[in-house]
Amino acid sequence: MTLRKLFFLLSGALLGTSLLAQDRAIEFEQLTLDNGLDVILHQDKTTPIVAIAVMYHVGSKNENPERTGFAHFFEHLLFEGSENIERGQFDKYIQDAGGTLNAYTTSDVTCYFEILPSNQLELGMWLESERMLHAKVEDKGIETQREVVKEEMRQRYENQPYGTFRIETLKRAFEKHPYQWPTIGSMDHLNAATEKDYVNFYKDFYVPNNAVLVIAGDFENKQVKKWVEQYFSTIPAREGSFYRPDIQEPALSAEIRDTVYDQVQLPAVIHAYRIPSIREDDAYAIQMLNRVLSDGESSRMRRALVDEQEKALAVYNFADGTEDPGLSMTFAIASAGTDAKALEEAMDAETAKVREELISEQEYQKLQNQIEASFFTDNASMFGIANSLATYHTIYNDANLINTELEKYKAVTREDLQRVAKQYLVPGNRVALYYLPKPAQP
Amino acid sequence: MNFKSLLYLVFALLGTTALQAQDEDFRKQAPEGGPPPRIEFGEYQQFKLDNGLEVIVVENHKLPKVTLQLLIDVPPKAYGDKVGMASMAGEMLSRGTANRSKNEIDEAVDFIGASLSTSSGGAYATSLSKHKETLIELMADAILNPVFPEEEFDKLLQQRISSLALQTSDPGYISSTVSDVLRYGAEHPYGEIETKSTLENIKLEDLKTYYQKNFKPNISYLALIGDIKPDEAKALAEEHFGSWEKGNVAREFYARPKVPEAAQVALVNKDAATQSVLNITYPVNLKPGTDDAIVANVLNTILGGGLLSSRLNQNIREDKGYSYGVRSTLQYDKVIGYFAAGGNVRNEVTDSAVVEMLGEMEKLRQELVPEKELNSVKSFIFGSFARSTERPETAARFALNIARYKLPKDYYTTYLKRVQEVTPERLQEAAQKYLLPEQAYIVVVGNAGEVAEPLQRIAPVLIYDNQGRPVDKAGLSLPDGLTATDVIDQYIEALGGKEKLEGVKDVSMTMGASIQGMELTMKMKQKATGKMAMTVEMNGSVVNETRYDGEKAMVSAMGQKQVLEGADAEAMKSQAIIYPELEYAKKGYELKLTGAEKVGDDATYKVEITSPDGTKSTEYFSIESGLKLKAVTTQEGPQGTVTITNSYSDYTEVEGILFPFETVSEGMAPVPLNMKVSEVKINTGIEDEVFKVSE
Repeated sequence: MTLRKLFFLLSGALLGTSLLAQDRAIEFEQLTLDNGLDVILHQDKTTPIVAIAVMYHVGSKNENPERTGFAHFFEHLLFEGSENIERGQFDKYIQDAGGTLNAYTTSDVTCYFEILPSNQLELGMWLESERMLHAKVEDKGIETQREVVKEEMRQRYENQPYGTFRIETLKRAFEKHPYQWPTIGSMDHLNAATEKDYVNFYKDFYVPNNAVLVIAGDFENKQVKKWVEQYFSTIPAREGSFYRPDIQEPALSAEIRDTVYDQVQLPAVIHAYRIPSIREDDAYAIQMLNRVLSDGESSRMRRALVDEQEKALAVYNFADGTEDPGLSMTFAIASAGTDAKALEEAMDAETAKVREELISEQEYQKLQNQIEASFFTDNASMFGIANSLATYHTIYNDANLINTELEKYKAVTREDLQRVAKQYLVPGNRVALYYLPKPAQP
Repeated sequence: MNFKSLLYLVFALLGTTALQAQDEDFRKQAPEGGPPPRIEFGEYQQFKLDNGLEVIVVENHKLPKVTLQLLIDVPPKAYGDKVGMASMAGEMLSRGTANRSKNEIDEAVDFIGASLSTSSGGAYATSLSKHKETLIELMADAILNPVFPEEEFDKLLQQRISSLALQTSDPGYISSTVSDVLRYGAEHPYGEIETKSTLENIKLEDLKTYYQKNFKPNISYLALIGDIKPDEAKALAEEHFGSWEKGNVAREFYARPKVPEAAQVALVNKDAATQSVLNITYPVNLKPGTDDAIVANVLNTILGGGLLSSRLNQNIREDKGYSYGVRSTLQYDKVIGYFAAGGNVRNEVTDSAVVEMLGEMEKLRQELVPEKELNSVKSFIFGSFARSTERPETAARFALNIARYKLPKDYYTTYLKRVQEVTPERLQEAAQKYLLPEQAYIVVVGNAGEVAEPLQRIAPVLIYDNQGRPVDKAGLSLPDGLTATDVIDQYIEALGGKEKLEGVKDVSMTMGASIQGMELTMKMKQKATGKMAMTVEMNGSVVNETRYDGEKAMVSAMGQKQVLEGADAEAMKSQAIIYPELEYAKKGYELKLTGAEKVGDDATYKVEITSPDGTKSTEYFSIESGLKLKAVTTQEGPQGTVTITNSYSDYTEVEGILFPFETVSEGMAPVPLNMKVSEVKINTGIEDEVFKVSE
């Protein structure tokens, strides 16, 4: 064998590896209909199923401050039926077809989805087109869902220990921006709203030019495009612009500190730091810092606060990842016998460390490994991929971020982490909230 | 324009209209599904190591991930007074090995972005495929070289005791515990229950013994799933599990649990409950892999297997509105199976819900299921099956089931075909065999006072405690003519007599308690004029202080102070009184003698007491000694109802008066609070200053 041949073989092998990496790329096709509906198709025939997701670019931040809770309310209302689907039949169609369905609402988006055996794709597209074209928004359904949402409010917020923490935090962290109210909104607003208010909200936001349709899974390209055309192309677009609040929340001038007395057994401490939009590069560093602090048994806060000092029963760090500047939070529940102040001091000691010292090379590598692993967990299912594509498209206008986002994390250095910790994870930039047990009610 | 072009125009117009009409039409009806897709099953390879370990490899390179699943088919065994040792032994495996401390294990697992958990029946781990060598090494280390560190054992034992304490007041947990005991019997491995005392009996040595006796390769299966080649998997399995030594594992045999002769209601009383937890259940002799198993699964899906459109949900939830949701379950393994149907229902419809549910079971025995309903359920099963194959772990699960239940190799590939072949006649046959409304335990955890009587019309009602032991009501009857006032008078007499109690002008009491290792000291001072003051100290510093001066109250905690006035303070009045029993008649308390019951081993009279402000409590007085053994108080808080249960024991004499020196209080904190009195002083002349409420 000549040296040259050997060289070719070697480079071939190298080429092979990089091709393998490309194999992992999630391929997709993107088109836009005349009415403005964006469509993303990801074909994967390994399992005979399809996931359909329709993400509307409307969340609680697009609501009228006098009518909060609408986006989430529609998450319920839009299962009530349409001109061609009788009340209560939406679920039944999916069930008879062997599928499953659900929806979720955030402060920025609302997403509706189905997962079906591949032979039932057309059914799913029909259901979603009915929802977009002429859903039933009328008093009967509104009345029913108002009661259901009230039960949800009781079950998930009021009767849940610490369940109101988000509501209490948001209203202190934002004065101007609509992030000050939670997605579930106000029951008074929902009660006061008329059928006309609801119909207008539907007409304003649930239109093709404010949505993306993602289909992932086992389908024939030609066929699926024909159905996209048939079911969605004649749904009229909305004229004019969409209400997207352009409200700058001024920086905090000092730490906001408060106490909430609630029906809880153990104190809890919440730190909510103001952070930039998820679209800013620093958002990646913040996500990474949160992992350093509480992802895994060996993370800093879990080891120090839970295992070694036994001051906390549990501790979590998370950022909501919002389109406009938002919050990154630490939530810790004290162990029995620890008071809130002692717990907070222990928390602050850990945040101070990430501000004052670079994290070690070893820890940095651990972080990158955890991020890589979680990417494949998030995108392990057809629904996971559909949801990621819809989110990247809606929030970043770049669905291909699904393939390039890991690079963004890799680009964050240890120095960046320290810089970002110094900039954002400081007391003057946060709301500090204590949850304390209500004095025993006599 | 000539005629011809006009004709064309008309055609064209007609054509458009026709097209538009069609446009409207296609939306009116749901599109028909295409022919069902073929569902592919992940292929797998299987081989055996020399030590007997069965290895299953499911190769799937779609994602760069691997999952390792080790299943140790430990034979069921009854552990008697040490229930809980098996699961503790499992948890201890990843808390220290000959090569790594717990911290080092955690660090190594997190470093590669992996997860690892161990249990009494094996281990589960997952990571990116590039870390597979490390992952399998970590798992093998935990399985082959655990060292059971003493310190970790102590920590784990405390955690287990605390979490058990959280569970034991949960009606859902009580329902499942009592159901287990009734179905299988308390001596059967599946009917044994974990309690605080069985946990406290466990020694570190027991865990080691459990591990040494059961963790053998020749009863185990190792599945390697995902981005891994069979050759590679084989080499890794050999390298890391090849040295695992085989050995005999003793198998014990137990009598097969039987269904009861006739239906019976097993009622567990939960004072003040507003909902009942229902569970209609009995053991089922059904084996994995049989034709009957497939038919019975379809039957269960129709009856109540999790769908909103199931018969139970349609009847109980959609039609009657009795519950937020009900469901039925059919589970079985090599040893035995069970059927269960239930949910949470409001007190006043508890009996009606039972009648309706038994009725739905009976209907399936009597009538054929309509084809349309059967087809809908078949397509749901098809869809769930299709969706489950998205994960390569499903293929591994199928392979593991085939191996350990000795199923035919084509069991899963022909599964849907056999579901398709199920007929209404076969369903009815299965219903008559497996749905036994007349031979069921109807387990009800709820408010006995409200639900017991109506339930008697359905089946004989037997009372059980929350560990599934029958409560002996025999010999417990109310003597003719006994009144609630008599019981209270006997209590006052037992404490030391009316005169003695009336002579108490003030009481100072010091109590100690410990919660999860933290010591609490409570100092309570009361004055007969209706004043009280209490401090709670933790590690020597005061964390809570409450004062009531007869009009206003003050509560301070964690440096925050709150003054209560009006109705809020009023409610504290009854707490401030040292012996409210002395004034029941004068203050207008309502007393009702409602029965005789056992509290632990003691026979008691049960008295319902309603204070003038409407607060209700149920108190239990020993028939033998006259002393109060238990009090259950229900309070309406802003977040709903709170029930506090106090149990009193260790009555000790202080200057001629008996005081309970031990009180266990449940409901105030997440774990029961055990308070022990260290000192009681009477008539020391406490100054009013002590009770003063400052603004």
